[in-house]
Amino acid sequence: MRSRPGGRAVSIPYVPWEPVDPLGVPRAAYVHVPFCVHRCGYCDFTVVAGRDDLISAYLDALACELSRLESPQPVETLFLGGGTPTHLPERSLERLLELVREWFPLSSGGEFSVEANPVGLSPAKLGLLADAGVNRVSLGVQSFDTQSLATLERDHSPELARQTVEAVRDRFPECSVDLIFGVPGQSLVTWQTTLETAIALGPTHLSAYGLTFEKGTAFWGRRLKGTLASIPDELERSQYELAMELLSACGFGQYELSNYARAGHESRHNATYWANGPYFAAGPGAARYVKGTRETNHRSTTTWIKSTLAGRTALSSQEKLSLEDRARETLMLGLRRTAGVFFEAFQKQTGFALEEIAKPLLARDWLRDCLAIDEERIALTREGRCVADSVVAALWE
Amino acid sequence: MDPRFIRNFSIVAHIDHGKSTLSDQLLLQTGTITQREFKDQLLDDLDVERERGITVKARAVTIKYVHHGQPYELNFVDTPGHVDFHYEVSRSLAACEGALLLVDAFQGVQAQTVANAYAALEANLAIIPCLNKIDLPIVRTDEVLEEMRTVLGFNPEEVLRTSGRSGIGIDDVLEAIVERVPAPTGLAADPLRALIFDSKYDNYRGVVIYVRVKDGVVRKGSKIRLMKKGTHHEVLEVGQFRPMNTPCDELGPGQVGYIVAGIKNLSLVHIGDTVTEASRPATEPLPGYKPPQQMVFCGMFPIEATDFEKLREELGRLALNDASFSFIPETSDALGFGFRCGFLGMLHMEIIQQRLEKEADIDLIQTAPNVTYELLKKDQTVVTVDNPQEVSWDGTTEEFREPIVKVTFIVPADCIGPIMQLCSDRRGTYKSTEYLGPARAQLIYELPLAEVIYDMHDKLKSITRGYGTMDYELIGFRAADLVKLDILVKQNKVDALASIVHRSLAERRGRALCKRLKEEISKHMFEVPIQAAIGARVIARETISAMRKNVTAKCYGGDITRKRKLLQKQKEGKKRLKQFGEVEIPQKAFLAVLDIGDE
Ligand SMILES: Nc1nc2c(ncn2[C@@H]2O[C@H](COP(=O)(O)OP(=O)(O)O)[C@@H](O)[C@H]2O)c(=O)[nH]1
Ligand code: SF4
Repeated sequence: MRSRPGGRAVSIPYVPWEPVDPLGVPRAAYVHVPFCVHRCGYCDFTVVAGRDDLISAYLDALACELSRLESPQPVETLFLGGGTPTHLPERSLERLLELVREWFPLSSGGEFSVEANPVGLSPAKLGLLADAGVNRVSLGVQSFDTQSLATLERDHSPELARQTVEAVRDRFPECSVDLIFGVPGQSLVTWQTTLETAIALGPTHLSAYGLTFEKGTAFWGRRLKGTLASIPDELERSQYELAMELLSACGFGQYELSNYARAGHESRHNATYWANGPYFAAGPGAARYVKGTRETNHRSTTTWIKSTLAGRTALSSQEKLSLEDRARETLMLGLRRTAGVFFEAFQKQTGFALEEIAKPLLARDWLRDCLAIDEERIALTREGRCVADSVVAALWE
Repeated sequence: MDPRFIRNFSIVAHIDHGKSTLSDQLLLQTGTITQREFKDQLLDDLDVERERGITVKARAVTIKYVHHGQPYELNFVDTPGHVDFHYEVSRSLAACEGALLLVDAFQGVQAQTVANAYAALEANLAIIPCLNKIDLPIVRTDEVLEEMRTVLGFNPEEVLRTSGRSGIGIDDVLEAIVERVPAPTGLAADPLRALIFDSKYDNYRGVVIYVRVKDGVVRKGSKIRLMKKGTHHEVLEVGQFRPMNTPCDELGPGQVGYIVAGIKNLSLVHIGDTVTEASRPATEPLPGYKPPQQMVFCGMFPIEATDFEKLREELGRLALNDASFSFIPETSDALGFGFRCGFLGMLHMEIIQQRLEKEADIDLIQTAPNVTYELLKKDQTVVTVDNPQEVSWDGTTEEFREPIVKVTFIVPADCIGPIMQLCSDRRGTYKSTEYLGPARAQLIYELPLAEVIYDMHDKLKSITRGYGTMDYELIGFRAADLVKLDILVKQNKVDALASIVHRSLAERRGRALCKRLKEEISKHMFEVPIQAAIGARVIARETISAMRKNVTAKCYGGDITRKRKLLQKQKEGKKRLKQFGEVEIPQKAFLAVLDIGDE
């Protein structure tokens, strides 16, 4: 038995960790669809609102970008994210689904996810998705509380959200509900009600994200001006802890910082990210990781369309990480998984000893309560999960 | 140029009463500059000053103006507008025979109106009072005229109505300058005597000396002598400010302009010195000025140690054009290598700091300002220190002395009570009261300089609704019961946060300081205790609780690069922070000691 420095052992769910080969051929693909009805105040994703006139050019550009793959790339997971992919009118949605299936044929038993929002998600569109082989829908519900929905500038009512979850649940094998806590004005009780409502609707998967104020968003500006305030640290923490407790008590195991699932219903696509594995991507702002190089497409939809149609690449960044940086990223991502990072698998995947890369973390006294370390792995404790960003940021200090 | 057709004037006003706007208008209407050349606030050519709407460095412009068919040369010498630069105001005034005094037609007579009017009177200048911004939709013409009469003694009839914005009354101003400001006296045949009222360093030509000629003539090729050091130089160029430096043949009695004499070393050129002829020197120099007195000192440290040399260069560059600013290297346990800098006052300090950050792109930590102290040692030697760290508490000091200033306040009579209260809170010694009229009084106090520099001016302004004015001069050093107040952050003494305070105020200050620091230092992953101590005795304590929640939103679309950069940026965002052990202290915290005020 090897002895490990620092920390103390706690019981953490045990999910074995298979090393992945970042240089291997990707078995996952992400396609970004930037269209939304309007832009929510907190949103800093690659989104265009009120520019439906761009949809057909977008699809042309997407076809163009995908054709650069030269041959179809079979994948095990395919994810259409946004934006709101289901905002596309039926004809366009059909074309989108056709396109991605042509270039990313799904292997049997594969996972095909689509992000959707309640508004405008008609039975006809759900039908299109199902017919195309989509087997997982991730719904941007965010809250079942009218007040929080208004603050977040979401355009659906709690009632519509409920109906939509039911419709999706009845039609697709995997139904995930996205929720947000830390919303200004949201109390612990309203958050609890939202969680309970979600649980009662019986999805297979739940994501609970803390609201963040990102530079460039309307929320950011409002907070600067003092017209919108983040909720107190302590309350946000309680909300997060409540989510962890309540969801696991109801059979939704926490398998990642923000993700909970009924056993066997974890998202397989996201698992690739957290394992620091390779993946294809297409669409504005989309990020791919192929042959050890990370690339991000231009975040401006119009620029991406123009460059792509003109036959140019539309990258906003490209980087090939050193082996050590790659290992550091593997740790950064791996710690998001509740199961933690395994010494052996880490070494195999990165070529570095985990204790070497994790040294800045292990060296810090204040991280003692945040890390759980045993013979096999390093994981975040519950305390560590609450302050995960600060923990991981210490890797670069 | 016949001195009879020369007029030299300044414009003085309280800040924001429209000096810059009116100056621009004068230049525009006389065609000194064209609309095209016109840039907002042409005379304030330094960014930082323009931003703050105040002129710091005096500059000058020559205006050509024809009055009743006779061409005149009007030399306008600009003045700074803040109490810190009082010294520079009198410098400009000494180069003139007259001054426009602008009073905002709505705001009326304000602190600096009075101070500047007195400065102009002291310099024996003819004053042309103007009721300015007369175009404002609401003006208080009668009340303001009355204030100008009671406080400053102007007859309403002699007050011009002007507006720099709309151009009203600019002709009247020009006419009044010719008619009311006396022509300079002085003979071309006499030995040269020219007052140096400013200087500027030009990378190509060396020092450009700004002069006002009193007697004699200076021209290209003249051999000149700077009277103070007795150095000799050959004049390479003389010229006028029109408004760009424009060479001319000669500068005669009464004229204002510049001299370039190939002087590479700015320290040879003393503001207030007299330029004379080498072959035929004047016997007496012109009166000149008092040397500027540095009142405030602070440490400036680069956040990145590698910026030290760059900082040294930049400070050197600033000092070239600002004789009233000084710096010497210093070391701090907490902040590493930096410089101890001396300033005329708080505003001067802020301006230099801002200019550094802006022009030099160096992230700085500035320590709280302090005054100079004197230590009387047991062996009866006196040591001067301008850094709290240098105060030794090893028993070799017999007496600790602090600088005392005589402060003159001119305040509305109904404010005397609160001002006296303020002064006694600040350890002041009452000297005298004298009524200047039924409504205004002059109060004299002796106060420790340390109690005056930080915020006395602001306090006075708020107590007197802006009508109070103050001025101070150093009268000496006096023994006081002073102690060094140390600050400990997570048990580590941070030397750069130490300050010198009077024993009687130490506890209150310590408490307030801990409170402020608690606001400034952000949460860490662990508790951070902050303590104030005198020697080993802790007199105040606050605790910053540990961070409780910090997890960001999803890794959307697998953009891991972005996620990582965000996390790394968390680290970089801390550039303006300094690491002490495991605690990060932001730049701003080092100035916290300033605004803890009178809690
Ligand atoms: N209405 C009006 N506003 C003026 C006039 N002169 C200046 N101002 C405004 O008053 C403010 C201060 O003017 P400025 O010339 O910078 O004052 P300074 O600080 O004395 O140089 C600015 O916002 C000007 O636009 C004027 O004649 N009329
Ligand atoms: S629906 Fe989602 S992607 Fe669209 S604007 Fe709102 S938060 Fe952004």
